[in-house]
Amino acid sequence: MKHTLFGALIAAALAVPAYAENYTIIAPAAPGGGWDQTARTMQEALQAEGISDTVQVQNVPGAGGTVGLAQFVAGAQGKPDQLIVGGYVMVGAILTNASPVSLADVTPIARLTGEYEAIVVPAASDIQDINGLIEALKADPGAVSWAGGSAGGADHIAVGLIAKAAGVDPTRINYIAYSGGGEALAAILGSQVTAGISSLGEFKAQADAGALRILAVSSDERIEGVDAPTLKEAGLDVALQNWRMVAAAPGITDEQKAAISADIDRMVQSKTWQDALATKGWANTYLAGADFQAQLDKDIAATGAILKDIGLVK
Amino acid sequence: MSGSTPQGSGATRRPDGATLVAALILAGIAVVIWRDAARLPQAGGYAGVGPADVPRWIALGLAGLSLWSLVEAFRSGKAEREAQDTGPILWIVGGLAAQLALLSTAGFSIATGLLFAATAAAFGKRNLALTVPVGITFALVVYLLFAGLLKLSLPAGPLEGLVWDLFRGAKP
Amino acid sequence: MNTFDFLLQGLAVAMDPMILIYALIGVTLGTAVGVLPGIGPALTVALLLPVTYGLDPAGSLIMFAGIYYGGMYGGSTTSILLNTPGESASIVTALEGNKMARMGRGGPALATAAIGSFIAGLAATILLAFVAPTVVKLALVFGPRDYFALMVLAFVTVSSAFGESARKGLISLFVGLALALVGIDQLTGQARLSFGVPQLLDGIEVTTLAVAMFAVGEALFVAARRDTADDEVIAVKGSVWMTANDWARSWKPWLRGTIIGFPIGAMPAGGADIATFLSYAAEKRMSKHPEEFGHGAIEGVAGPEAANNASAAGTLVPLLTLGLPTTATAAIMLAGFQQFGLQPGPLLFATNPQLVWGLIASLLIANFMLLVLNLPLIGLWVRLLTIPRPWLYAGILVFATLGTIGANPSPVELSMLLIFGVMGYAMRLYGYPIAPVVVGLILGPMAEQQLRRALSISQGDLWTLVGSPVSATLLALSAIALIVPLILRARGKGKVLSQLASDED
Repeated sequence: MKHTLFGALIAAALAVPAYAENYTIIAPAAPGGGWDQTARTMQEALQAEGISDTVQVQNVPGAGGTVGLAQFVAGAQGKPDQLIVGGYVMVGAILTNASPVSLADVTPIARLTGEYEAIVVPAASDIQDINGLIEALKADPGAVSWAGGSAGGADHIAVGLIAKAAGVDPTRINYIAYSGGGEALAAILGSQVTAGISSLGEFKAQADAGALRILAVSSDERIEGVDAPTLKEAGLDVALQNWRMVAAAPGITDEQKAAISADIDRMVQSKTWQDALATKGWANTYLAGADFQAQLDKDIAATGAILKDIGLVK
Repeated sequence: MSGSTPQGSGATRRPDGATLVAALILAGIAVVIWRDAARLPQAGGYAGVGPADVPRWIALGLAGLSLWSLVEAFRSGKAEREAQDTGPILWIVGGLAAQLALLSTAGFSIATGLLFAATAAAFGKRNLALTVPVGITFALVVYLLFAGLLKLSLPAGPLEGLVWDLFRGAKP
Repeated sequence: MNTFDFLLQGLAVAMDPMILIYALIGVTLGTAVGVLPGIGPALTVALLLPVTYGLDPAGSLIMFAGIYYGGMYGGSTTSILLNTPGESASIVTALEGNKMARMGRGGPALATAAIGSFIAGLAATILLAFVAPTVVKLALVFGPRDYFALMVLAFVTVSSAFGESARKGLISLFVGLALALVGIDQLTGQARLSFGVPQLLDGIEVTTLAVAMFAVGEALFVAARRDTADDEVIAVKGSVWMTANDWARSWKPWLRGTIIGFPIGAMPAGGADIATFLSYAAEKRMSKHPEEFGHGAIEGVAGPEAANNASAAGTLVPLLTLGLPTTATAAIMLAGFQQFGLQPGPLLFATNPQLVWGLIASLLIANFMLLVLNLPLIGLWVRLLTIPRPWLYAGILVFATLGTIGANPSPVELSMLLIFGVMGYAMRLYGYPIAPVVVGLILGPMAEQQLRRALSISQGDLWTLVGSPVSATLLALSAIALIVPLILRARGKGKVLSQLASDED
């Protein structure tokens, strides 16, 4: 019985029609992480919708995605069936790791999903709102410790931008980097640090339960279901989205680029993709074509400037 | 912290070569770490302990252990050790190197099959006409299980491509 | 009372025959993938998660639990029989377990691991059900300085538990600490010792190092011995089953392992590997037969195996009560919850009790099923050792490299496997213990980061390190652990101790 089941599983896994537009998606991260999940969700949607018959996901983890990016730039040159998943973290990682390749070396197709940052304090904290936090920061930047993700990542960049907007020297922020959202959240809940910053999704459940107070979010508009102002409302000119994108190989023709863009567009509109976004709690921030390119250029320039200000990039 | 290694008993008073080499290697690592640390910016921030400090402490520790080994090498004298065959080592190291070199071009099964055969040869099965095909078949079965069923991304070569095509051809 | 009702309800759901079949498939798949070195429970679940997509929540959850526990179990089997730890939490198991297997006592080693895992899993799952809210409050009290103190304690107890010579043990430990420096410094983003090689920026993977030093190093060492007759592995000597004496020597380590593992797993920056190190050190200290350590002491298998399972259940405490994924495995489990649009967190127990209790019941059943499945299979597993050596070692190396290639198919990673394999061989040859290298690689970065975080929060004030009751207590314990053996040694007991201590291979 187990043998037949096993056989059936193998047959099912191998049963794919012979002729197909076959994409290979590079996930520049280890299996299980955000980029890997994005790549595998794309795989599922592209196959289920019949946009592509066989989609392979290949993991090339390392150094904020820059190892995968370097391999992609070198190996996929001019190949229209090669895709890579990436995101905002890559923008910073390329700069801090002094990566020899950058996003200018690939053909960005579209932004797919995104998350906004939230600034929180433990419920027991004396700080009641974002202005209170900014005042404390102005009074003594060292006394305000921020827990967030890895150095040079979206969280760190956001703190740098906030300090700068508030007129505080960004090199003087006391940022405590943690490896994952979980560990940082524990430090915040345990009142080990003054404030915390991470993707809104990491804090939402705790905030709803009353263990954390969300002081502000990094979106342009208020977010439904979150009782907190945007940073802009608080008078800080900071907006930041931690997005994930898909890019194609360097050196492809405009026709090939258009074909890939059309495939991705069909995927994003599909029910499979929309359902997957809903179950995973990812916000659809689809943006393609020239608009995406413009946004990307803006993000790269702003990130480069703030990383210099924080002192992470020379 | 007693002064003698167990192997050292009853040996002549010449310094122990292996311990001397260990002392040298440790000193080498310490120097590499120290020089790497010197290149790092002293960005201790509020902690006062920066990215270069812990490497320095470890380099100092290694340097201390290097000195200790140096003293030990002369104090305990030459040690007796089991005789070692270099042949099997070369077979296994060669097999791993072959797998490394061939993996991306020849694919998982062929590269790993060669490692299999080389390891078997290291343990005395030198009949490559038997072990190479067995190894490649074994690796191919492993490949199909893990790449096919579990979607583990393993490098595919001509052999894997052929088998995929066979499976596809069998389907309407 | 409520808790108990919910648990019974969960069990009733999980006893459905169809659900049991899912559980069976889950534990079988999990064990199969778990035996691969380098592919631990986290990766196993990540890879098999899509298999569960099509099932209903109850079926999916139980399969998931089965894969998770099966993956944990598979790792210890290869550790014991083949000296090839599948993941960092079963490295310690290989130390004593493989010695036992070589003396024909693989059966009892596997049995004590299985029963210890079962008992620890059972006890910890029940603890999870009843005391999770309290435990999590305690875990949150742990700040960076307290973790730093815990790491100091781990260093002190663990480094004295390995090896025959203080010099050789320290050298191994420092080599591990040096290797741990490679990669991006997490707190400042500076690249250290990576020499411009991008693949080194993420540092050296613990499983790559462990697989290389244990599996590859071992293969080289065994192959190079000219006189192999004296090293003949005996598959079975005496009973395959545990003797009365084995039972008597195992039950206390099982309980101690559970007590060490559960709270450490519940700590946001703890981890199963640290729990196994501490458990091993504790067993060696408390054993009536310390002379057997390094030569196949059953306590050294029973304790750490119980500790790693208890720790796995412990990680569910912050996950279920706070929505905190504290390990890779917990992060994957979170993804499993999100399949159903659920966000684990403080409200989950209130809003979705059936699901939480369903999961807890599933874990209990998966745990039980693994015991029932694996105990009869032990006889079969130990036959693995009767495979002629050329085929056995060829197979081991295929799976060792498969794990590395599957997790990260990069030439740099494979080169590391080769280089560390040769290093493992050389260290075995000259009598340097292997385990401290891995210990240094795991504990080094944690100690450094927690120290720097603590000092950053205190803005450079060193007194902060003894500023909390927890950190002060842990550092005091470390000091005692460091000084007492020195006094004993000064009284002349040292010679006995160092003779009793072991040779690594």
